[in-house]
Amino acid sequence: MSTSTTCWKCLSRPSLLSSQLSSRIAQVTVSAPFSSTATSLAPPLIRGNNGPQKGVKGTTAIKKKNRPQQTGKPPMPGERKALRKRVVLSNTNAIEVQDLVDLNQETVDGLLKENASGEYTSPVAGKVVGLPGTTVDSLRAIESFKTSQGWGLFRRPSLLVRKEAIDLTKSLVSAAKDQITQRLIIDGARGTGKSLMLLHAQAAAFAQGWVVINIPEARELVSATSDYAPIPDTMPQLWTQPTFTSSWLEKIQKANKTQLDTLKMTKKHNLPIEVPSEISLSRFLEIGVSDTDVAWPIFQAFWDEMNAKDRPPMLLTMDSTSYVMGMTEYRDKAINFIHSHDFVITKLFMDLFSGAIKMNNGGAVIAATSRSNSPTSISMDLAIMQALQRQAGEKLTRRNPFERKYDERVDSALRDITVMELSGVSKAEARSLMEYWAASGVLRQRVDEQIVAEKWALAGNGVIGEIKRNALNMRI
Amino acid sequence: MGASWLPASLRNTLQCACSPRPMALNRLRIFNTRTRHFSTSPSSRASFAAPEISFGRQREVPQGGRDQAGFQPVDEEERPKFYARLVPSSPSYFTAQPLFTDDLLVLQNLLRRYSTLPVVKPGEQPRMSWRSLTEYRDQVGEAVKSSKYQKIVQILNRLNYIHPSLMPPEVRAAINEYKRDINAFQNIAKVSPVDRLGRTLGAGRRKAATARAWVVEGTGEVLVNGKTLAEAFGRVHDRESVVWALKSTGRIDKYNVWALSMGGGTTGQAEALTLAVGKALMAHEPALKPALRRAGCLTRNPKRVERKKPGHVKARKMPAWVKR
Repeated sequence: MSTSTTCWKCLSRPSLLSSQLSSRIAQVTVSAPFSSTATSLAPPLIRGNNGPQKGVKGTTAIKKKNRPQQTGKPPMPGERKALRKRVVLSNTNAIEVQDLVDLNQETVDGLLKENASGEYTSPVAGKVVGLPGTTVDSLRAIESFKTSQGWGLFRRPSLLVRKEAIDLTKSLVSAAKDQITQRLIIDGARGTGKSLMLLHAQAAAFAQGWVVINIPEARELVSATSDYAPIPDTMPQLWTQPTFTSSWLEKIQKANKTQLDTLKMTKKHNLPIEVPSEISLSRFLEIGVSDTDVAWPIFQAFWDEMNAKDRPPMLLTMDSTSYVMGMTEYRDKAINFIHSHDFVITKLFMDLFSGAIKMNNGGAVIAATSRSNSPTSISMDLAIMQALQRQAGEKLTRRNPFERKYDERVDSALRDITVMELSGVSKAEARSLMEYWAASGVLRQRVDEQIVAEKWALAGNGVIGEIKRNALNMRI
Repeated sequence: MGASWLPASLRNTLQCACSPRPMALNRLRIFNTRTRHFSTSPSSRASFAAPEISFGRQREVPQGGRDQAGFQPVDEEERPKFYARLVPSSPSYFTAQPLFTDDLLVLQNLLRRYSTLPVVKPGEQPRMSWRSLTEYRDQVGEAVKSSKYQKIVQILNRLNYIHPSLMPPEVRAAINEYKRDINAFQNIAKVSPVDRLGRTLGAGRRKAATARAWVVEGTGEVLVNGKTLAEAFGRVHDRESVVWALKSTGRIDKYNVWALSMGGGTTGQAEALTLAVGKALMAHEPALKPALRRAGCLTRNPKRVERKKPGHVKARKMPAWVKR
């Protein structure tokens, strides 16, 4: 990419003044940041054009009704979105469940106990555990809680420790011990708890002092709602999303503050701005938060620091992964769509998945698919299917030779991933969950074997979201 | 299909057209009515006004008469009785419902004659469904009261108690005459056997959907067309419909269901599965029949979509009224 500063949408060049002001930055990012909208240059809206137009005859038969007067103030910009995204994590009317075990370091260690036949013997296996306050704050900072998960029904956030969750915890612990990078994709039918499995991994990681980095909704990376800029002198051309990266750094910094405050910068980095040496990583990230232009170089330096010796392991998670398995809505200079793997944040995840990058101190990269309004990526679906078949020792499904929509880059990124297929919970797990609901005063029903069996069967053999829908949501 | 309000001259034609009784039987009845109502004697039916005159034996044969054979003396025994006035064939002609009265008398006679025959124990007699009152009314063309018809039914029920091996042919004929054309009690549903893998098969229909369900002892897992209940049916109500037979009998954690459904929409498929699972469950546990019947898992819902009519937008909807 040349250093042309023409934005294709607004066809304007950045003013001379701004380029002079940011001459310091321009040493690194020479090209101007692209803007996805050019509202300032849009023609002014024409209002109040109610009069009869020339040459247009009005019909006498149907009279236009006068629109009702708008009363009340329209919501402020962003107010509706804030309301939609509001996550309520506590309900003071719910009964507090007595002797609820917290998911802390001790519990996580205890989870892994097994007996001779390979069954988990921990007292919290198959039971509901509470999330400690610090973990809740961290999880909220990385936007792990979603509005549709029903957190607002209970006194405090808590999780069911199902068998797959213990398996996952086990692999995380072994990754930290052996300093390897676990690569995992969580797949399953709608409502089987894929996002909550991510949440469990994050909570377990926080409990063990890991650094957790999360993309709560991969759609934000591809939907062309944040600004983007090319990275000069890259071949093939790579792109950054400065504002997104900056807010991402803020989330990382907030969520892992206790951990990052204790870690000091040790390396020398080639950064476009001068950074005081020996500051904590938390303080270092704050620099990237305040300056969007340097957010990505700061993250790169942060990544290097985290891969230095004696750093805590890292957990990278991403939800609704199929969004990043294809083209984005962003366009390059030739007005072609940009592939999502050309964006550096997505590229980091994909390099981790393909094994091109490893975490030196161990860690895991986990992605969850989504079954609600997410695009289909046939390459990812095939990779997941083949991974499941490989794990089961079955014959692999071949690619469809008549299909053109396979994505080579996705194929190569997901060549040898591990897949965790989630389905319904067992009846014992469903029962302990329903007992927790009953103890919280949310499920006002006797919980016995008959009722558990009924709800379990109606929920498609224990699909946990459907059990919740059936038992807790109002039936209309 | 009542014809009892029609004038007597029209009744018979209408009966032919719309009576549920077989045609041959109707015709028989019509001839009977005629004869019973108006006959004096079969030979005199040709002309009511001028019956033949008998001149008796003492009359001499005229000589060189017009006829070669001449008048032959008619034998008294051969000659039918001549009534000076019209006599009804049945004494019940003067009752309000002569045909009904005749029928009742015939049955009463039969009962009187055969009341000494041995009978079967109550409950062991063959189950019969008699013609309904409306059908009987149409058949005889008289305004028969329900209480009157009940008398006939009572006698028929009593006659039905006669031991089948000793049933006289005329009683059997009388019973057959009053039997419904289709005996609902003869329709015994086939029960699917439990196969060597412990499965039973049930089939069900609803609207345009058909379903088959294999039920086997298990832990309450359900698969419909290879999908779980949650994947197969979005509505919770539909899911409940599928397992309703198991749920209403408290067997939801005792059996597994593997089902195929096709045709129609989601509601149709779900409710076809209700029937299929109910029947398959009944094959495992026949004692559940009353409970399943009460839960509505054995009754086919016959309702179908109502047809569209000409002049209507849909089945009932009329186009909006427009001035001019």
